Amino acid sequence: MYRILAGPAPRLLVIGLFALAIQRAVFAEHPLHDVKLQFVLALVVAAGAGGGSDRGAVAGFVLGLMYDLGGNTPLGQTALAYGMGGIVAGYLHSFTPDPQWWLAAVFAVFGAAVGELSVPLADLVTGESGWITGDLLVNVPVVAVAAGVMCPALLPIGRWMMGVKRKKWKAMNE
Amino acid sequence: MFSSLSRRRVVLLVVLTCLLLITLDKQGNPLTDRARRVFDVMLRPVDAATNAIVLPLERAWYGITNYEDLETENAALRDQIEHMRGTEIEARSAVLQYRELAKLNQLTSKYTFEFVTAEVDGDSPSNYQQTLEINVGSDRGIEVGMPVTDGAGLIGRITRVFPTRSIVLLITDPTFAVAARVLSTDEETDPGEVATEGSPPAETEAEPVDTTPVAEGSVEGETTTTLPAVIRETGTVEGRGGNRTLLLRFTESTSAITSVKVGAVVDTAGGTGSLAPQGIPIGTITTVLKQSGNSSTLVEVRPNADLRRLNYVAVVLFLPNVQAVGS
Repeated sequence: MYRILAGPAPRLLVIGLFALAIQRAVFAEHPLHDVKLQFVLALVVAAGAGGGSDRGAVAGFVLGLMYDLGGNTPLGQTALAYGMGGIVAGYLHSFTPDPQWWLAAVFAVFGAAVGELSVPLADLVTGESGWITGDLLVNVPVVAVAAGVMCPALLPIGRWMMGVKRKKWKAMNE
Repeated sequence: MFSSLSRRRVVLLVVLTCLLLITLDKQGNPLTDRARRVFDVMLRPVDAATNAIVLPLERAWYGITNYEDLETENAALRDQIEHMRGTEIEARSAVLQYRELAKLNQLTSKYTFEFVTAEVDGDSPSNYQQTLEINVGSDRGIEVGMPVTDGAGLIGRITRVFPTRSIVLLITDPTFAVAARVLSTDEETDPGEVATEGSPPAETEAEPVDTTPVAEGSVEGETTTTLPAVIRETGTVEGRGGNRTLLLRFTESTSAITSVKVGAVVDTAGGTGSLAPQGIPIGTITTVLKQSGNSSTLVEVRPNADLRRLNYVAVVLFLPNVQAVGS
């Protein structure tokens, strides 16, 4: 029990609830040129960029599931899309174990693009294809760049949420 | 958790679980409904706390940056109210006549049903869903499928109900469709008119009654009244997402092109399989296009309601049958 409480699960739930509330109160009400920036997705890709693909997938799954539970989308749809976003952002760790903040932001852009694009694609899975339109050419880049901009600020929160400790490099004695 | 499972296994587990959940939810599993209700209870206080912090800041900022716009808008609205007062009396009389006729003919219409007024709480957080959240739920008798209107016309239908809030799918969402009708008189008919979006709507008011001299067999000097024939076209209005107009598909596409006209009013058709009772205004026709290569007609409808500025709405306590509501 103590292991569960001390692990990332409760942090993920609490941070997820607040992120969802911020998304609904701030970003849903103030679209940028008709595009609603995705704060929850930005947090997911920050967690992925800070902790790797597996942690990104789990963060995307849990936060996406919360998004579905609080909204009108079929349960699991946003979880699938955000999970994909988290996985892509986490691929950064395949290249470098301790990435610079700007490199994390670049991968966050790619992850958010995949996450945002996966939402209408996941709609296809459920038989609704009405959102595959030219609007995606605007929505996806705007959401992705915004996630990249937010990434440096969300990176420490994402790491803490997923229980990732920064690696400390030590010089080895010959 | 992460050390014991390989990366590929975690990813695979996430994807498969998502697909399983989507399947369960699409089939209407009661467990998923219960999970949503529990989550709603958890989210409410956090939502309230966030709004308590965000709203005053937002209002202060809006007041500072948009003060002049608000003053101009206020003046324009006052002017609009003055103009509308004049037409209100006329409209009331027409509604009363309509109700009497509907009652006489035992027709169901929107006036047969009670409604619940609700305040709009927020928009959909996603770019791929056009929904609204309103502050009434199952506690006030709201059920899935009920149509929602504002003063101007139909805005959507209830798709999810929680005890104290509900989610409304807007008419502009691509998954929305409702049975609709276009009523016009033969005098209004303008065959083959092809308009482009943005052109001013044509005058749609029916011409006054035509009073003609008596036909044979009647008393000399007496006059009779000939009403213009009313043409009724039925079809389905569908949303197209974003800020696009609605699309009207006719049941009998060949006849539609000769009888519908830009500016004609579209309202709900009603009927046993419909999502809404008869007579709720939807919008006006802005474009009538004959598609090349076939006989079908493409009709675009601009919604009456301004979906970007909704504050208060009314949920009509009309419960469509299960087949009409679908999932």
